[in-house]
Amino acid sequence: MSARDYSHLVGHRFPGGTYTFPEYVNWLWEDAVLSEHDGGLAHPSLGYYIAMAGLGVSIGEVMALLEGTPESGVMFGENELEFHGSLRAGATYECEGEITAVERKTGKRAGVFDKLTFRIQVGEPGASVPSVVCTNTWIFPRKEAGDG
Amino acid sequence: MAEPDVGTRLEPYVVERVDAEKMKLMAAILQDPNPIHFDVEVVRALGYGERPINQGPINMAWFMACAVRFAGGRERLLRTQMRFLANVFAGERFVAEGTVTALDHEAGTAELEIECTADGRPVLAGTATVATR
Repeated sequence: MSARDYSHLVGHRFPGGTYTFPEYVNWLWEDAVLSEHDGGLAHPSLGYYIAMAGLGVSIGEVMALLEGTPESGVMFGENELEFHGSLRAGATYECEGEITAVERKTGKRAGVFDKLTFRIQVGEPGASVPSVVCTNTWIFPRKEAGDG
Repeated sequence: MAEPDVGTRLEPYVVERVDAEKMKLMAAILQDPNPIHFDVEVVRALGYGERPINQGPINMAWFMACAVRFAGGRERLLRTQMRFLANVFAGERFVAEGTVTALDHEAGTAELEIECTADGRPVLAGTATVATR
């Protein structure tokens, strides 16, 4: 893994796009999180899923921006979801996302790591207010930077 | 829901045993290639322990379940903010519990502080805002 500076990524915009949220994904997600099905109203944690599905890049591709790989131990750091409307299975959403911060930190337990923060707005087509705003912070361990 | 008071404790949301099979399902849904959720060899090699690690979104959903149960419905959840403090491993007992920390009678909202543990270790902490009417 790299010890490079990635602060130039702040302001990077993801491709975004339109995502139609399938009924079967709603069902499987609720099974995975041990939740009962609630008609067409999606579990609020799906705000994260829909945001990521509409980002226009995969989880692996987001990791790759900071030279993270699936085997490098990238972890979830923080998440914020703001709900301005409900999410429904079968509905179509437009997603826009950008990187808002990249910070290098040192922790007692974690050692040297990079914090990537990116914000995604999820809204119904034509809506003036997004249904959900999802802000994620991911942690990229930088063992080799700590060794230096 | 009945009007809560500041200091009211939320009913704990408990998962008696975190299921590694659900992690595989979530990895497929998310198209998440990170093997820490399904390959114990990688978990071990990274020094994270001996068992698969639960996905953040599953922990997130359980955090939310505690708030939604208190609020009386998914549509009443207005905001969540959480920090992932430590990994949650397959086989652990997960508990989400919390307290009402503030009320806005005019807006009809309550602020909740929620803490989650796995086998007693703090793993997730944060706040939620829910509608009270």
